[in-house]
Amino acid sequence: MPQDPPIPDDPPPFLGTWKRVYAVVLIYLVILILASFLFTRAYR
Amino acid sequence: MRTLDWIVLVTSLVSIILYGLYRARGSNTVDRYLLAGRTMPWYAMALSIMATQASAVTFISTTGQSYVDGMRFVQFYFGLPLAMVILCATVVPVFHRAKVYTAYEYLENRFDGKTRVLASVIFLCQRGLSAGLTIYAPALVLSVILGWPETLTTSMIGAVVVTYTVIGGIKAVTWSDVQQMIVIFVGLIVALVTCVLLMPREVKFTDALYLAGAAGRLNAFTGRFDWNDQFNVWSGLIGGCFLFLSYFGCDQSQVQRYLTGRSIAESRLSLLFNAMAKIPMQFFILFIGAMVFVFHLFVQPPLLFQHAELARIQGRAEFAPVEQRFQKAFDARRAASMALIEARHQGDEASQAAQTDAYRTAQREIDSARADASHLVELAGGEKNFRDTNYIFLSFVTRYLPVGLVGLVIAVIFAATMSASSGEINSLATVTVVDIYRRFWKRGASDHHYVLASRWATLFWGLYAVIFAGYVHRMGALIVAVNRVGSLFYGSLLGCFVLAFFCRRVRGTAAFIGMIAGEAAILATAEFTEVSWLWYNVIGCAVVVAVALAVNASLQEGRDKPAKIA
Repeated sequence: MPQDPPIPDDPPPFLGTWKRVYAVVLIYLVILILASFLFTRAYR
Repeated sequence: MRTLDWIVLVTSLVSIILYGLYRARGSNTVDRYLLAGRTMPWYAMALSIMATQASAVTFISTTGQSYVDGMRFVQFYFGLPLAMVILCATVVPVFHRAKVYTAYEYLENRFDGKTRVLASVIFLCQRGLSAGLTIYAPALVLSVILGWPETLTTSMIGAVVVTYTVIGGIKAVTWSDVQQMIVIFVGLIVALVTCVLLMPREVKFTDALYLAGAAGRLNAFTGRFDWNDQFNVWSGLIGGCFLFLSYFGCDQSQVQRYLTGRSIAESRLSLLFNAMAKIPMQFFILFIGAMVFVFHLFVQPPLLFQHAELARIQGRAEFAPVEQRFQKAFDARRAASMALIEARHQGDEASQAAQTDAYRTAQREIDSARADASHLVELAGGEKNFRDTNYIFLSFVTRYLPVGLVGLVIAVIFAATMSASSGEINSLATVTVVDIYRRFWKRGASDHHYVLASRWATLFWGLYAVIFAGYVHRMGALIVAVNRVGSLFYGSLLGCFVLAFFCRRVRGTAAFIGMIAGEAAILATAEFTEVSWLWYNVIGCAVVVAVALAVNASLQEGRDKPAKIA
């Protein structure tokens, strides 16, 4: 098998660090759940 | 299907495949054939991950489920972003740095050969079983809807998938997936817009939402916890998280997608894209089902959407009364729907409440008549516990969509089947060659030899899937059992990877025994309890970890020095 060069752990293209990107994803999840709740309540 | 539909269908599928093969040229080494030379950009991996996960059944069945049961299935995906964040932070960099071809190869680096083999065999069993079903389920529905023989639809899908997967390897699979997802998105948007436009003029979009909500079809959130309820916010967040951790972290059909990334960052971005896009996408698909429901408030649906089964029961004496009840209830529901909209526009709350009651009563009567018709199918020698959910969306498409769009939506179903199936076949071949053949059978052969072996393995698994799909219908109700079997394996695999990543002192023998115990616990839970299958992964994972830790302690293994994580 051919030997590849080491794979670098680059920073994300936005927000500076991966921790911040993960935080954004989790906040987005909370918003989606909240939106689902409000959507369900609005059309129950 | 008219001529224009055929042109749209054939053009879509041929262009997808040719584009995939064009992008896959030069896949002549193992690294390129199985991992695309680790050169894939994040967006291609992201769409390929999405395409592999979303089989045709996702589109056919999800819309039907929303039609009969509302949108609560969307909660199943609430755990996905959590799982993706965990995987990005832990698994993705480790797999990349270990430079493995398969997730199970890493287990040998971390534990030993027998743990790798056990995990590989578990994957081959689970994914092998589902490979046939991935082709069979949509092929069956398409054959019924289009009136084609089942063997023709199965063979068509199988032949196309096997050809481009064998020739182009993972690059062809990934780039075809990208095109397939584009066709899927376009087809679904067109289907929704057309559905809304086909409603009566006096029914505005907000009225459609109101009517869907009044019938409980917009129930995207259930806060009540229930172990036996598959879809609530808690089972979605906890059970769904474990399921997606297993699926995206331990299932080679998904792991292989992001191992093709040119960097750790690209692989992470592909998973995080799915974390953000999957819930809205599922919401959208479910919403289409809810709108098809509203459409059929005004345009009478058939008693059963599976016309072959409907024809089977039409000669029975019990059929006429059921059909009359259905007709009467439909008329009542249509009248109540129109009166409800009228009352809503006028702001007449008393009339709104009265019409809502009438509307819901009529809906219950329709549900009851449909349940009786399904029972008649069973009595007439049809499938036990017959449900026509999978036929609802395609029935709508073929009956009411304009010419040309029918071909597009049928292309969506074919595309979804091919993308899911090609990913499965490709990953099955990879595990067969890398974890079994190269590891235990023929070590140290040339790169060309392993490329050839990979192509043969792909051909083998492709033919196996097609042949298995041909026999699935003879298994009758076992289809359900096989589907359930597919969900029985992930927990023990996940437990093994949790041990690998987070329990550094645990050694191979303890992990091996833990996996067997975890599998036994899942099987016992499935056999002797009513616990929803979403919790199997949680239970299996917990048992693997607990047993492995206990065995490790009793064997006094790994106490001298911690294991090195690659």
